[in-house]
Amino acid sequence: MTQVIKRVLMMTLAVPALALAVATPGEKAPAFSEVDAEGKTHSLEDYKGQWLVIEWFNKECPYVRKHYGSGNMQALQKKYTAQEINWLTVISSAKGKQGYLEPEQAMAVAASHELNASAPFLLDSDGSMGRAYGAKTTPHMFIINPEGKVVYAGAIDDNDSANPAVIPQSKNYVAAALDASLDGKAITVASSRAYGCSVKY
Amino acid sequence: MAARKILVATLIYLFLAIGAGTTFAQDSARGDHVRVRWLAPQSFAQGTAETIGFYFEVDPGWHVYWRNAGDSGAAPRFDFRGSAAEVGDIQWPFPVRLPIEHLTNLGYEGDVAYLFDVTPAAGAERIELDANLEWLVCKVDCIPGFGTMQLSRPVAEQSSWPAADRALRDRFQARVPVPQRQSPWRPVGLSEAGPGSLRLTLTSTGGRAAVPPQVFPTDGELLTAAAPRVQTAEHRINYTFTRVPGASLPDATDFVISDGQRAWSLEGVPVGGVMRPGQSLWLLLLAAFAGGMILNLMPCVFPVLSIKLFGLVGTGATTASRLREGLRYSAGVLATFAVLGAVLLILRAGGAAVGWGFQLQSAPVVLALILLFWLMGLSFSGVFEFGHRLMNIAGRSHGGSFATGVLAVFVAAPCTGPFMGAALGAAVTLPAVAAMAIFLVLGAGLAAPFLLLCASPALLNRLPAPGPWMEKLRQLLAFPLYATVIWLLWVLGRILGESGWLIGALLLLAVVFALWLGRNFARGGRVAAYTLVVAATAGAFGALQVPQPEEPAVTSTSVSNGWHRYDKAMIAEALAQNRPVFIDYTAAWCITCQVNKKLVLESPKIMELFRANDVLLIRADWTRQDPEITAALSALGRNSVPVYAWYAPGAREPELLPQILQERTIAALFSEQPRTQHAEDDTP
Repeated sequence: MTQVIKRVLMMTLAVPALALAVATPGEKAPAFSEVDAEGKTHSLEDYKGQWLVIEWFNKECPYVRKHYGSGNMQALQKKYTAQEINWLTVISSAKGKQGYLEPEQAMAVAASHELNASAPFLLDSDGSMGRAYGAKTTPHMFIINPEGKVVYAGAIDDNDSANPAVIPQSKNYVAAALDASLDGKAITVASSRAYGCSVKY
Repeated sequence: MAARKILVATLIYLFLAIGAGTTFAQDSARGDHVRVRWLAPQSFAQGTAETIGFYFEVDPGWHVYWRNAGDSGAAPRFDFRGSAAEVGDIQWPFPVRLPIEHLTNLGYEGDVAYLFDVTPAAGAERIELDANLEWLVCKVDCIPGFGTMQLSRPVAEQSSWPAADRALRDRFQARVPVPQRQSPWRPVGLSEAGPGSLRLTLTSTGGRAAVPPQVFPTDGELLTAAAPRVQTAEHRINYTFTRVPGASLPDATDFVISDGQRAWSLEGVPVGGVMRPGQSLWLLLLAAFAGGMILNLMPCVFPVLSIKLFGLVGTGATTASRLREGLRYSAGVLATFAVLGAVLLILRAGGAAVGWGFQLQSAPVVLALILLFWLMGLSFSGVFEFGHRLMNIAGRSHGGSFATGVLAVFVAAPCTGPFMGAALGAAVTLPAVAAMAIFLVLGAGLAAPFLLLCASPALLNRLPAPGPWMEKLRQLLAFPLYATVIWLLWVLGRILGESGWLIGALLLLAVVFALWLGRNFARGGRVAAYTLVVAATAGAFGALQVPQPEEPAVTSTSVSNGWHRYDKAMIAEALAQNRPVFIDYTAAWCITCQVNKKLVLESPKIMELFRANDVLLIRADWTRQDPEITAALSALGRNSVPVYAWYAPGAREPELLPQILQERTIAALFSEQPRTQHAEDDTP
């Protein structure tokens, strides 16, 4: 009888827990295992004990173009990968949807966009990684610390204009969180509304 | 380098935007799927504010955004430059929820006007407005648009509109949220409801508000745009929103509610508890004052006050000295409330779960009160004279009045009636300054009648002149004190189990025996008496330290008279089976709780009703500080008892019943007839 009660209780508790299983600051990062455009597999395990930035990408999205056309995103990738921080850029567009890329197309886009991430695009065409993380928009940004916890989830910066001219005046949340962490300080903004285009699952 | 890249990108972007059909320096703008034009009069009236706007015509199936765009997208931006007019904030007509695949956006399908007020500068002959626009138009894919629009209109005696444009302006102006005061719904609570969610509770203010309104969160950093889970119970509507993952809770947040025709803005709804409907701090303070006054009549306060008043009548003191006494008493009350308030605030800041009547959840405090009331009772009965020793506590000396005030607050706490409950519930959720103000006003209310009696000789003169009746009155007043002792002994018994009764009663016996010794055996007897009292007191208080009593029958199925002990698992199971659940949050030291229990909850008629409807009855006994029950109470926005939570069959959220129960309130839960009103809403 007690066993039954316990099971019912666990089930009632488990349902909301499942519904909330997206990357949440302060909690364990969801596991993933995805193949990149070169055919190499990346999983959360591989980055244990290291800092990891995850970025959602769609080359057709005006907000992605805002940050790539201006060189803003590549500059961040270059700056932080040089400091031994890993950076994965993910495409979760489903086949036939806007932004979907075959591996060779993805390699070409990586070259033309001067992608400076730790690997060529992760191709998540079934959307499993995007859904696990609760990735809503491109660009949606996540930072995972060496303990495997999410420390930031949200927008790249505080200005949801599509106009690249606003970038110099914007407060970059990702850079602020990484700089604070590298200095051993607390992250002041750990969550924000991710702006941009919807991820095309 | 980066700067140059941004510049180049910006230029390309602008070029594309123009290429896409946006034109410069016009009174209209165009982009893919969007045309924008002014909604403005042909001439403005001198010195008069006029609401004008940007009218967006959007292709079918495409949409533009509200101020909070929701899960993706972006609100349009309007940037005004160097105008000879005063320009107000953008007024956003209420949006609709737009489900876009896995996301929800807040915006407008079809045409919309973004409005703002503009007032011509004094003496200006023309209005010249320059506006930079940026917008995002989406179907599934999104296309940003960009443009500059100019408005140049003469200023005349009167404004003159093209009739069609004015009608359009009026149509959208009617959809701009107006202040909450005029709303048919009021927010009564906003609190966490499980991890990652936030629940807003509205109550309707009129009968016509039958359909729950749409609620849109203004802060997209805090809440996701997905439609909240809506549950209605009588006049209350709960909206459970999902929070943006990791978003921390602010002190307050804003919403817009709409019935589909009009909209109202709920500004600064405080997060973290029950808010009395549409209340200003003034109303709360007034309620606190009234509550404090009523506390004077509570059975646990009245005896203390009568002691003091009795003292005043007896001494034949002058008005000045009486006033001094009254002020000292008030100071005692206020100081105690201030200290308690400060402690509560400090504990609250420390995140500790704490409730008001906690003085009486501590066995030593209860025992000390038993001893005090016993001695006072004995003294009143004439067994011994309090004289200038213990009487100092509640007697005539200067410290005495202050001490009476202190004592009054301590014994008043368990009598938290509906008034005090509401005020304290608010105090716990309010900012520190306001919370402290409530505590002090509550104290002022408690002190006021006494102070008034002291200050006004006319009123005091109404009290009869001293005489033999005083002796009888004094003896009579002993009985409420004995009653209080019995009640406190019972409380001690509830805290410590049977040993509580024994320890308390033995101490009382020792005290009486010591008094008898002291009276009958001159010197030696008095020494023995003092020794006995000290030893008995030390022994009794020492005994309290002895291990906390074992939980009476720890099994989760422990039942007493059909009522189960508080057990989360059991409640969850019953709710999962859509079984109705009634939870009685109670405590031994809460008199209201006991009255409700005896007269209503455990009456044969009501018990039969509960049985017939297969209601799971739960008694959450808070006599001892139980962290689980404290947490459950705070989830309901309460920190005092009684609280009666009713889960109708299939309901996931409880309905809170009035603090003063009546049989018909309970009976109405099982009848189809809608109840007329919530007594909870009656408290000011």
